[in-house]
Amino acid sequence: MSDVIVVSQKPSDAGELIGLARTMGNPVIVAFQDSAERVEELLGYGHRVYRVKSSRPEVLAKAVNILYEEFKPKLILGPNTRNVKDAMSVVAGLHDIHMAPDVVEVRGEVDGVIYKRGFMSERVTITVKVPYPTIILANPRIAEPAPKGGVGELKELSFDFIGVKVVEVKPKELSGINLEAAEVVVGVGRGFKAKDDLRMAFELAKLLGGQVGGTRPIAADLKWLPEDAWIGISGKRIAPKLYIAIGVSGAPQHMSGVAGSKIIVAVNKDKAAPIIKQSDYGVVADLYKFIPTLIEVLKRKRGAPHST
Amino acid sequence: MSNIVVLVKASLNPEVVRQNPDGTFDIDYTPLKISDVDRNALEEAIRLKQVFGGKVYSVTVLTWGPLKAREKDLRLVVQEALAKVADEAFVVADESIIPGDYSVTANVIASVIKKMGLNPILVLAGEASIDESTYQIPGRVAAKLGLPYVGYVRRIREVRDGRVVVERDLEDYIEVLEVPLPAVLSVTQELNEPRPPTLIQIRMASRKPVHMLTLKDLGLDVKRQRSIVEMRVVTVSRKQVLIEEADVEKAALKLVEYLEKEGVLRL
Repeated sequence: MSDVIVVSQKPSDAGELIGLARTMGNPVIVAFQDSAERVEELLGYGHRVYRVKSSRPEVLAKAVNILYEEFKPKLILGPNTRNVKDAMSVVAGLHDIHMAPDVVEVRGEVDGVIYKRGFMSERVTITVKVPYPTIILANPRIAEPAPKGGVGELKELSFDFIGVKVVEVKPKELSGINLEAAEVVVGVGRGFKAKDDLRMAFELAKLLGGQVGGTRPIAADLKWLPEDAWIGISGKRIAPKLYIAIGVSGAPQHMSGVAGSKIIVAVNKDKAAPIIKQSDYGVVADLYKFIPTLIEVLKRKRGAPHST
Repeated sequence: MSNIVVLVKASLNPEVVRQNPDGTFDIDYTPLKISDVDRNALEEAIRLKQVFGGKVYSVTVLTWGPLKAREKDLRLVVQEALAKVADEAFVVADESIIPGDYSVTANVIASVIKKMGLNPILVLAGEASIDESTYQIPGRVAAKLGLPYVGYVRRIREVRDGRVVVERDLEDYIEVLEVPLPAVLSVTQELNEPRPPTLIQIRMASRKPVHMLTLKDLGLDVKRQRSIVEMRVVTVSRKQVLIEEADVEKAALKLVEYLEKEGVLRL
């Protein structure tokens, strides 16, 4: 009998979550918003797959709730996405069970699980023990991906849904860049006075073979950058070799998103800005003077081997 | 009556992380402050109060102790809610629910709303608190109250025919939804621009009622699920080299030299 429900939102999350689920019990999979190929791929893990044809949180909550009542699982595992977090908070409330999002480590014990997650904008890690049943939403790289094998059984999960009505769906304006994989990231903050001025950041990033991301005000509020360029606790978490933060004050919500960077450079005209103390190299300068000069210096440097 | 309930949390302040000598997190000496995004919920309640015409109640459950030492911080949080918009504040401070437990907190909030007869048409809350950031209390409260729930609301467009039209910000898309009332909404920082309360508002706040409650007052019995094994402060050892030159060219050259030494420059 299955005792772990795995919720899968994207092709990339399933392998690791199933891998984790197998170390803790006997999984069934709930997948949503899926193409036929993707369902085929999921069936290749050899577990039963329930398909839900919507990624809306209230639909997902209802689907998982139906399965929760059928299987009485000890564990629900899922990815730490907005849709899944939102849906699972309702399931957790309905059954009064614990839910832990953003989990970076988890281990099953006889009577419950022990997990670790970030806390206080990632400035503290908290290790917690909770009894079964519980919901764990894991960050990427939580476990080794499961090997495939066998053919699972497919079940469609459909039901009537009343309540919240969708009027319109608007895709987000996305850049398609993969900040998480970039080796160099140039981050822009409110120190920039106009959208046009971001050109400097893009030129610098291009010169260094990197990408441009931004703080919450830049990407989410002002929309000077697409939303997938938003770096921070609610946006992307990056781990480049070099992160250059320009005109970024260093709010904890932003800094927690760049904690994995090898080297952090801050350019800020305010020596007292929090980011200066949280960087490896803090340049105290007006970005409007410093960045064009830095670009010039780098260009000269790049040209140097040929011109001399 | 068409009342609005706003959930307001006294969160540990992540900008002031205190550490014990052994590297563990010193919760007792880390101050509390209002969770930032709850300010957006309060700001929106000002506007919605005019639409619904009822009262605005703030509900706060203390989740961090020691109880005695938290009085001042807690008072400031509640004061802000009252100064901004709330007509009355409900505060649950009880040793038996410290440190907080998500399921317990949600049950206590739902119990305050039901037993105190707050009768909300709308429950507003920040999407997550700044200390734990688990994004789950609003959804749990909705489940406990048996109300529809919409999370990550970044715009409240209008209220019409017993419904509220909102935009919610999901992983890959934005949805415009019609939500039947009463309902629970969690809101994001994009919702509005919270204004600090004025001096007059702050002075007025001191005259508004604050109801201090314990679990006994609510007749509630709770079962905590999590036990905290350990909390450790992450030590970031950044080099903190300061480059401060009157001449920007000099500063740029210096930075480039450092980055070359670090081996992170690839031109």
